[in-house]
Amino acid sequence: MSANMYKYDDFDHAFVRDRNIEFADQVARRLSGDITEDQFKPLRLMNGLYLQLHAYMLRIAVPYGVLSSKQMRKFAHIARTYDRDFGHFTTRQNLQFNWVKLAETPKILEELAEVEMHALQTSGNCIRNTTTDQFAGAARDEHSDPRPWAELIRQWSSNHPEFTFLPRKFKIAITGARKDRAAIRVHDIGLHAKPEGFDVYVGGGMGRTPSLGHCIRTGLPGEQLLSYLEACLRVYNRYGRRDNIYKARIKILVAALGPDEYKRQVEEEWARMDQAKVDAPVAEIDRLKSFFPDPEFKAAAFDRVAFERAQTADAAFARWVKNNTNPHKRDDHASVTISLKPVGLPPGDASSAQMDVMADVADAFGYSELRVSHEQNIILPHVHKGDLYELYRQLDAVNLSTANVGKITDMIVCPGLDYCSLANARSIPLAQDISQRFEDAKLSDKIGDLQIKISGCINACGHHHVGHIGILGVDKQGIEFYQILLGGRADEKAALGVITGKGLPAEAVPAAIERVVRLYLDLRTSDDERFIDTLERVGRETFAGALHEPA
Amino acid sequence: MSQPNSTHTPQLVTRDGAVIPDGWTLLADDDTTGADGPFILGFERALRELDGRNGHYGVRVMPGDDVRLLEPFLEKIALIEVAFPGYRDGRGYSTARILREDFGYTGIIRAVGDVLRDQLFYMLRCGFDEFLVKDKDPSQAITSAAQRFTTFYQGAADANRPAWAKRHTLA
Repeated sequence: MSANMYKYDDFDHAFVRDRNIEFADQVARRLSGDITEDQFKPLRLMNGLYLQLHAYMLRIAVPYGVLSSKQMRKFAHIARTYDRDFGHFTTRQNLQFNWVKLAETPKILEELAEVEMHALQTSGNCIRNTTTDQFAGAARDEHSDPRPWAELIRQWSSNHPEFTFLPRKFKIAITGARKDRAAIRVHDIGLHAKPEGFDVYVGGGMGRTPSLGHCIRTGLPGEQLLSYLEACLRVYNRYGRRDNIYKARIKILVAALGPDEYKRQVEEEWARMDQAKVDAPVAEIDRLKSFFPDPEFKAAAFDRVAFERAQTADAAFARWVKNNTNPHKRDDHASVTISLKPVGLPPGDASSAQMDVMADVADAFGYSELRVSHEQNIILPHVHKGDLYELYRQLDAVNLSTANVGKITDMIVCPGLDYCSLANARSIPLAQDISQRFEDAKLSDKIGDLQIKISGCINACGHHHVGHIGILGVDKQGIEFYQILLGGRADEKAALGVITGKGLPAEAVPAAIERVVRLYLDLRTSDDERFIDTLERVGRETFAGALHEPA
Repeated sequence: MSQPNSTHTPQLVTRDGAVIPDGWTLLADDDTTGADGPFILGFERALRELDGRNGHYGVRVMPGDDVRLLEPFLEKIALIEVAFPGYRDGRGYSTARILREDFGYTGIIRAVGDVLRDQLFYMLRCGFDEFLVKDKDPSQAITSAAQRFTTFYQGAADANRPAWAKRHTLA
């Protein structure tokens, strides 16, 4: 079986092949000493190759988070052959290998090309991998499938001649559902696909100057999406700040001009443009849509009685069903999230053996399709409910049955000081400490949906601004400290968290979080009132005191 | 992007790979040379003076200059030098596309400044036709940039057709 996803044609294969030949030549020049590391740096960055604290890191693009079982097996093979037997799934729905050797990167890229993948535009000041809803094409609350549009944007943005040297990196996210699982309001451009066209949000972002995107257009027809994006990018390319790297993202330009003036400039640019030259024809959009039909859904009758009996007999399975499945557009199917957040292990990591199992279960139960979520988990978008128990048992055998999706231990965490040369503080060990504190399944289930997001520095790769509880690592005179933010959220009611209380040393953070959570449990009006609801009802200040040890 | 050859003396090369002499002179803003000739004016000076001048001039456009202000004078402009003070500054790519695609400007567009072989592919696509490039073999740099890719995913200012156009060639 092969997954229903975009498949390369000769043009796409030729593009990746040409790019890989070019990069292999650049690596050869570096290895022979023909060029220095300084000269090589911008070249390798255009190919997703970073030099981190200890080794080269290769970031592989997973376009809009969609993977086939075949591609997942290739990741497993690369992890085994060229890395330390594991890989790290990122908040950009990509995959990073943290320990690759420079001399072997051309070979890795060759292997990736065999499964229609590459590492292009995963770094540098260009348009990055477009991200989207991990349940695209499956979710019950979806009104438009974002994947064909994400593919359209992927191609348009590949090697774009005008937008490869932008003031700063540029990230686009698309959702097509009622619930926003793609965090579109905290992206440079956020798109909400609706039957009547796109709502276009511009100027959202995190980092040192967090802001929520402004809606500058509604009802934009899909056939005009590319020309409108081109107009948005041209205004940014011409007028975005280039004098200060921290003020170079589009959010700063939009704030300086005001959203209305930015919109006016975009519309003027758009009106002047020869749109037919930029917009792909309807035939191409139809071609892209044709790659994303529903799978041939298994026709087997769903035995509800057996399903419920299995849950009664196996409480852990029942808990997993409750926490790790999402409503599917078909009653007899579910979308399954495989949590990569087991207690005490680095969030988002998967071993080669686990990757192989995920590929195997995707073939056996999931129409060969997988997704990466921006929460750093893996999704099987379509699973027949009659297969859930067997799926669960196979996942459980390789420690992939952690039943914590959306719960307090399902944290987004940047790599932090353990890997990253920018970080001020460690993130992963802190996440491990917190997850150990809330290890008790009963407690975690009682707390319910609560998102903790941790960044090891102000660049906010761990999305701390939009965590219900955000944690930011800072360096205070050589000592790692953590600031706590409360009240952020990245969904359709997006809001930025606010720094609350004084900074805490690492060892004090888990207990502080626990006091906040205990207070929430005391204050909530019912089991259904989530942490974020209580917080918004009673106000952030109510929780400020709980962050600090009672005197 | 790479600067392996950036210590080389810049040479002027055309999009066809021919190394040519530079027949133009950049005038200082206070240079009062009045004659019509192959002179390049600074952007502000061009805006001030081109209205009252006859002949064919060159204009130097810096990254922060709004090239759209030149529209009324395009008939008097035979050469536009787009400056790249640093290779990371990508504003010049938009400048060239506006000239070619919005205005239909057919004169020469020349890239000057920190022009390195790794940028040439993008510049060719945006409508540049001369390059003051720092490279030990500028001619080879241009040829290899022009041949590097066979797939293009967007329409731009060059003749290459995007993949979507090739996929749906009208019968």
